[in-house]
This record gives sequence, structure tokens and C-alpha cells, in this order.
Amino acid sequence: MAVLEIIGVRKQFGGVVALAGVDVTIKSDEILGIIGPNGSGKTTLFNAVCGVYRPDAGRVRWNGADITGKPAFEIGRMGIGRTFQQAMSFPSLSVRENIQIAMEHGSHRRDGATRRWSSAEELLQFVGLEEFADESANAMPFGNLRRLGVAVALGGRPSQLLLDEPAAGLNEAESAELVQLFRRVHQLGVGVCVIDHHVQMMAELCRHLIVLHFGNKIADGPTETVVRDAKVIEVYLGTQS
Amino acid sequence: MVVGALVIVGALALPWLNPGYRALSFAITTCITAIVLYGMAIPFGQAGIMSLGYAGLMGFGAYTAAILSRDLGMNMWQAMPFSAVVAALFAGLFGLPSLRISGHHFAITTYVMCELLRIALTNGGAFTGAATGLDLPAIGTVLGVNMDKLGNAYLLVAVFMLASVLATYFISSSKYGRTLRSIRENEQLARSVGINTNMHKVGAFMLSGLFAGVGGDLQAYNFRHISPDLYGGAVSLYFALMVMLGGPRTLFGPLAGAFIVTFLPEVMKIDPVDSRIAYGVALIAVIMLLPGGIIAVVERSYRWLLAAARGARRDASRPDAGASRV
Repeated sequence: MAVLEIIGVRKQFGGVVALAGVDVTIKSDEILGIIGPNGSGKTTLFNAVCGVYRPDAGRVRWNGADITGKPAFEIGRMGIGRTFQQAMSFPSLSVRENIQIAMEHGSHRRDGATRRWSSAEELLQFVGLEEFADESANAMPFGNLRRLGVAVALGGRPSQLLLDEPAAGLNEAESAELVQLFRRVHQLGVGVCVIDHHVQMMAELCRHLIVLHFGNKIADGPTETVVRDAKVIEVYLGTQS
Repeated sequence: MVVGALVIVGALALPWLNPGYRALSFAITTCITAIVLYGMAIPFGQAGIMSLGYAGLMGFGAYTAAILSRDLGMNMWQAMPFSAVVAALFAGLFGLPSLRISGHHFAITTYVMCELLRIALTNGGAFTGAATGLDLPAIGTVLGVNMDKLGNAYLLVAVFMLASVLATYFISSSKYGRTLRSIRENEQLARSVGINTNMHKVGAFMLSGLFAGVGGDLQAYNFRHISPDLYGGAVSLYFALMVMLGGPRTLFGPLAGAFIVTFLPEVMKIDPVDSRIAYGVALIAVIMLLPGGIIAVVERSYRWLLAAARGARRDASRPDAGASRV
């Protein structure tokens, strides 16, 4: 089991404290959800792990090894895959090429859990995009673009997947399909960590929730406990005075 | 495939068509320029990084050849690897700013580096021959063929030009080509799947420098006299114009661009000042109307025609096709 430990990570942009020393442990045997209002530091947390930003303080450890501040491509090669809030792809390339690029790079591990798809076609089938293989990515509807983002991340053979608002902009049916996809990914032995503010979807998908608020962790525990937590309800619904 | 065969046959058959001295020397210039442009198309077309330094990189190749000939008595073949490597190293240097800046800012930086080179060559004293430049000996004979005959010299550069087309074909259809395209398409996503984008950017520039260096070596020995003005920023701008006109992402775009810009003023009898205006207008027209270049539009229309023809055949084979037309 792979473990990603985030220990006291702090990140400040000018006067804004995006992360005020957050501790999160992400284990690959569970589906972890991180929720929080806009600006609570969720994406910054991913970016600090994935080498987009260097944390101002704190450490990031992957399976015991310190990976704090390593460049993004090295993080990708170590088996931490991610998606982006803005549904990223290689827009003018074909869907197949999008996947091929990820499969030709990514994690160098070919053992057990990470050796799953021997060809781009198999992976496309797994995410349900096989009929779009020859279309260019930007010609696909938005919902499929979200799927493609997940497929590209999976193409890198990650042991841990970090998903940044994967259901943003999707309707109920599309979100439900994605939830199914994430469950199947997790059954393969890949750790899944999801950021979203769609509480209902997160409650359905994750057994374990973490809540961020203004760069602080205000709750961490089993989903049913967290959603009843007074502080969490206050953050999301406001208090009656 | 068909187009490729036609281009190869056409390019190699030219000397037998008695094109005349003037057209042949234009054809030599076209081929040498195209070699440099194929290099330029690697970072520009594949990795999406536009640079305006290629005349300068070609200059590194040409001056390396001239200086090695003067000081060490090397011939064109002996100097070629040195020209290529020197140009590649400087191409890597020219490419370094692309790790921090992009788009127009990077293009202007490379333009400035190219101008700096021209100024340095002009003030290089006896070492670079200052503003007068340097002279080179003749190519001599290659495999028993006398290169003093212009038709033979043309064939030699045409072979190098076709080799660079072939190299481009293999690069763009390889895993390496895909890696470069991923940088063009989305650098952040490319990094997240484990691609060392910084290394590949500089690598693409160095690879393109090899083309520019070989082009410079061939140019120096074909012109037999080189001077700083051949390698300034203005010439780099022409190179960029040619690549954009032809289409940086297409296999025959750089060749088409070099051909059009070299031959058009001659064929249409436009004087140099007017042709510059014409290029400016042409460039704006291509960017606005034919993004992707002339060859990209030709390819698209060809594919469209094929699809239309296939559609028509399908219609004709349907039993009720005749009836519906009445």
C-alpha cells in the first residue's frame, strides 16, 4: 500500500495564506475526499504535492521518501497521477495520442498494480472513450474531456491518483458515471483522492473525508461523522444567530 | 506517399530539365534554406516554440566551416560535423530563455541574440573577416563527381534537403515527436505525466541546430564567400516567414515556404523593395486566412476532395441514385 504524507505544509501567496500548515495522510487503500469552500486551499494542496509550487514549510513524503519540492515531472514518474480543475488535455491531438503520450512516460514501475493496460485501446475501453479514439480531444463534449483527463492520468500508471474537481461542470448522470469509474479505478488497487465541493457526491464516493477552511484542516474522519460535524456545517451553511 | 514520391523525383530531376544557371542557383538556395527551415520546424511546429534566431545558428555553422577551412585546411565534409555540433550547442543556448519566457518575448530574445552575433562577426577582426567576411575553397569532387558544375552541386544539396525531409518524417511520427507535441499542446499536463519539458525544449533546439549547422556548412561552400549580413535578424525573419507561409507542422511546408519566397520575386519580376511589402502582406494574409500554412490547406482540401469523391461513388452505387437525380 502506497502512502502519501503531507506534514505541516504551508503555502503563502503575498499576504494570502493558502495553506496554514496542513497535515493529510493519503493511503492508497481508501478513497479519500477533500472538501471545502472556494479558496480553502484544496487545489493549492495538490499543487504543493505535485511540484507546481514549492511549499514554504512542511514536508511531503511518498512511501517514506521525502519528495518535497521535487519538479512536477519527477512526481509524475514516481507514480502520483493527477487531473486538473480545468479539464486539461492535449487539445489538437487525437484522443488516442493523448493517452499514448501518458503511457509512453509516466511511472516507470511495471510491476503488479501499475501494469494494467498494455495498449491505449485497452485504457480507452476502461474509461469508455474507445469510440472517440481518432477524434481530436477538443472536438469532444465536455463530459468526455473530463474522462479523458482521468484517462491521461491513468496512462501514467499511477499508484495514487489525485483528482481536482473531476465533476465540475458535469450534470448528475455524468457525475454518477464518473463516481463509478473512480470506484473501478480504486478496485484495481490505485489510491484515489478527490477534491470537490459537491458534498452529496463526495459522501457517496468517500468513506473518509477531510475538510479544509481558509488553509486549515477543520475536520478529518469517517464521512458520516464529518458531515455531522458542527464546524463543518457552520462553514458550509453558516450559523443561525 | 504519392506527393512525397513526386517531390523526390521532381527535386532530383531538375538539372536534366535545363533550367539555366540562374534558376539552378535559386534552387540551391531553396534547398539549403529548406534544410535550416526543417530544423526550425522541430521546435516551432512540433514543440510550438517560435524563435527568430535561425539565420544566426546557420551562421555558426557557416563560420565554423570557413574558419576550419582557413586554419586547419578542412574540407566541407570534415567541417560538417563541427559545424553541426557548434550550431547545436549555440541552439541550446538560444533555447535556454524558453524555459522562463514564451511567445513573442522569447521570439524577440532570439532575434536579439541573432543580431548580437551579426555585430560580433562584423567586429571580429581578422578572425571572422569583419564586415567583408571569409572566403572558402571549392567543394571539389564528391565520389568522383565534379561539384564545380552547378547541376551537380544542386544534386548534392538536394540530397541533403531530402534527407532532412526524411528526418522530419521520422521525428514527427515517433514517440519523440509526440513528446514534443505534448509540450506544444499543454506543458503543465505534459509535466504531470512525467515529461521533463525543460530538457525536451532545449533538446529540440539542439536537434534543430544540427540542421542549421549542416545548412550553414553547405551554404558556405556553395557561396564560397560568407559575410555577417547573411546571418542577421532580418534573414531570421525571412526564415520565420517561409516556415509560417508553408506550414510548420506539415511535412512539405518548410520546403514549399523556401521555394515560394526564393522563386516568387524572380518569377513575378518584383523588385526587392516591393517584394518585401508583398511578403508582409502575404504573411498577414496567411496568418489570418490560412492558419497552419499553405501546405496544411492543400492537405485539408485534398482530404476533403477524397471524402467527397468517396461520397459520390457511394451515391452512384446506390440503386436509386439515378432516380433521385431526375
